[in-house]
Amino acid sequence: MVDSTYRLEYSGVTVDFGATRALEDITFSIAPGEIVGLLGHNGAGKSTLFNVTTGVIGASSGAFSIDGTRIEKRLTPREAAQHGVTVIHQEPALAPNMSVLENLFLARTAPRGAERRARAHRALEAVGAEIPLEIPVEALGLGERQLVDIARGMLSGEMKVLLLDEPTAALGRAETDALHDLIRGFAERGIAVVYVSHRLPDIMEVCTRIVVLRGGRLVVDGPASDFTPAKLADALVPDLRSLDFTHVTPGAEVVSVDTPGGAVRARAGEVVGLFGMAGGEQFEIAARLAGAARTPQSFALQGEPVRFTSPGHAIRRGVFFVPPDRDTEGLIASETALDNVMLPWHSSGPGRGWWVSPRSGTEIYERARAALDIRGPSADAEVSQFSGGNRQKHLLARWLYPAQPTLLILAQPTQGVDVGAKLDIVEATRAAAARGAAVLVASSESDEIASMCDRAYTVLGDRLVPVPRSSTFNEDLLTSLLAIAEPTRA
Amino acid sequence: MNAERLKIFAAKNGIFLALIVLITVFSILRPNFFTFANGQSILLQAAELGLIAIPAAFLIMSGTIDLSVGSVASAAAITGGLMMSASGSTLLGFGVAVATGIVAGALNGFLVAYLRLNSFVVTLGALSVWGGLALLLSDGRTIPRAELPEAFRSIGTLKVGPIPIQIIALIAVIALGWYVLNHTTFGKSVKAIGGNERAARLMGVNVQRSRFLLFVATGAFAALAGLFLSAKVQSANPNIGSGLELEVLTVVLLGGVAFEGGVGRISGVVAGLLFFRVLRAGLVFMQASPFLQTILVGATLIIAVALDSSIQRMIRSSWAKLGKRAAGRDPDDDGERAETTERG
Repeated sequence: MVDSTYRLEYSGVTVDFGATRALEDITFSIAPGEIVGLLGHNGAGKSTLFNVTTGVIGASSGAFSIDGTRIEKRLTPREAAQHGVTVIHQEPALAPNMSVLENLFLARTAPRGAERRARAHRALEAVGAEIPLEIPVEALGLGERQLVDIARGMLSGEMKVLLLDEPTAALGRAETDALHDLIRGFAERGIAVVYVSHRLPDIMEVCTRIVVLRGGRLVVDGPASDFTPAKLADALVPDLRSLDFTHVTPGAEVVSVDTPGGAVRARAGEVVGLFGMAGGEQFEIAARLAGAARTPQSFALQGEPVRFTSPGHAIRRGVFFVPPDRDTEGLIASETALDNVMLPWHSSGPGRGWWVSPRSGTEIYERARAALDIRGPSADAEVSQFSGGNRQKHLLARWLYPAQPTLLILAQPTQGVDVGAKLDIVEATRAAAARGAAVLVASSESDEIASMCDRAYTVLGDRLVPVPRSSTFNEDLLTSLLAIAEPTRA
Repeated sequence: MNAERLKIFAAKNGIFLALIVLITVFSILRPNFFTFANGQSILLQAAELGLIAIPAAFLIMSGTIDLSVGSVASAAAITGGLMMSASGSTLLGFGVAVATGIVAGALNGFLVAYLRLNSFVVTLGALSVWGGLALLLSDGRTIPRAELPEAFRSIGTLKVGPIPIQIIALIAVIALGWYVLNHTTFGKSVKAIGGNERAARLMGVNVQRSRFLLFVATGAFAALAGLFLSAKVQSANPNIGSGLELEVLTVVLLGGVAFEGGVGRISGVVAGLLFFRVLRAGLVFMQASPFLQTILVGATLIIAVALDSSIQRMIRSSWAKLGKRAAGRDPDDDGERAETTERG
């Protein structure tokens, strides 16, 4: 039966979304005082597990217990809070225009007047935050907002389980350290902590135990001291058909850009990775090169100095950009599949953009569709009807086939797609490079870089390290990131 | 065709059915409603409204709105009327009026597209500015028939063969709108901007310039509508366009253009235009009080907004259901799940 020596105990939690199994038979327990690092790639099931625990979604089968109380049915988020479960997200869920005091007791039963203020003060003190109660939350920094969020969790009763979802993704070093101290303090008081992060150095630093999910299953569970970055990398890498990377004969230099950490260069025919933290500098570099960021970047394109102030300028020079988020930045849900691929190219078609028929571009679209093995409804269906991986393929099709790119910049091009789609995308990208494009791949997933790049740079802050392709490419990437993250500790 | 597809079809084409039902109802209630003469008179009444509704539909499809069209029409009628009254030249009057519309549109466009101000607020302000200017320039008086040149007044009754010039202008604008929306890169860009501005920009669409041009075009057409209205009533009145913005908005939303942008068809807008004018003509036939008609214009707008949002929601949910079904048939991949399936 239930062993109440555990704060949190999952027994056979399984979650199905329609035909998709997001979590399969997750069974593990967390004792008081443990800090568990929960790792896994996008789609591995980390968020789903959090959502089950906080009552956002219900488990299809299985159950979990909090402090020995077995929970079979789906909780409301409020009930979860009453059970002592607190969750902290990367972006705290607070009302920005309301004061700290109001936020602390939002949707909670609150005492009145002086008692209310006293409790608020005590909670803020416990998390080490010195913040006036009247200040609106929007005036606070992200780190302070997270502290308010944690204090809010403490006010709902006895905190038993603290779930942290990428809490440090947007924090600086000092704030991260402060948060880690706070987490250790909570653990010492017997709270069970589950910590999700893409920042391996953070996990290694604060966690006492590491659990790895892959494809909805628990694949690794062990004390943190057993792990090295290399071993973690091994546990994280999914099986990818190994591609042949031996025949790359790079041509002339296509791009050379000075970053704070040094020069990033890529030649025609090369696929070069830019690896860094989740939400790290590599994405900023990528967007700036393509004219997609607020501040443009000067760089040398085929030896000629350029500076693109808008994506339109970049596109005219053959610099194409696939943004990190396909649905908010990449595709237009209300437009047809065909238009989503061909819109930038109608003006260069036979009618110069002044006579675009519904059939314009059909030939190119069908060619792209065959090359990327896109499956789903026909070309005149809205692109939102396609599944995630096939939508991502449409985004790539737009920049791979209607015109040959000079420089192709991809931001996490295979994020959240299944293995089959991933391979199609990797192969199509490498084929574009083989036709003479230089390709930059910005990502925070080392396996994404390892699965498609000839070499890479690891970027963090003002540091940049070149990482050559080797048989241990994936580990090397993670090690290099750990290495350049290290000096800041001192 | 399955149930979801049928729902989508019905939601997209409901206005055509509503138009037929409305005409049928009025024809039954008043047997002399369904006549050629009445049809022509309805089209004639629809001309000026349609002249603005087509470019305004583009604006709404791109995710913005222009509420100043009515007073821009008034201001253009007055500047044009004053010029004609001073110079006696119809051509010069047209030039000045259209220039007024272009300036008004360019101002709106500059503020909304380049300074990124909210279009609703900017054009609501412009509504007051141009309406006030029309009154200021005219001193609040109507420029009478006698001061307007003969050539201009004759436009009001000009016909090409059997068809009044207003109807020809309306058909020309509809054809132009249809061509631009469906068969040019610009038209496709407009819908792309409304659908997802960031994505459109990343595709190389010049979002700011496109928006600016749409405002300029809307201003120019509003000016033309002001002139046509003046020619019809044989005088230039500083309030001639007042209330047009509400009618335009009603027509466009009735026509199935999504208020949040990205979705719309010219045929829908034309049906919305006809529905609105048939409704008003029908009320005249039923000898409804003109005050009641004003109430009904507002009520129609509110109903149009309500229908618009529920129709767009319904279309979206039906697409989603269809999409899910497609995913169930072919469980190839999905965003939330990675690395779980191997390709066969």
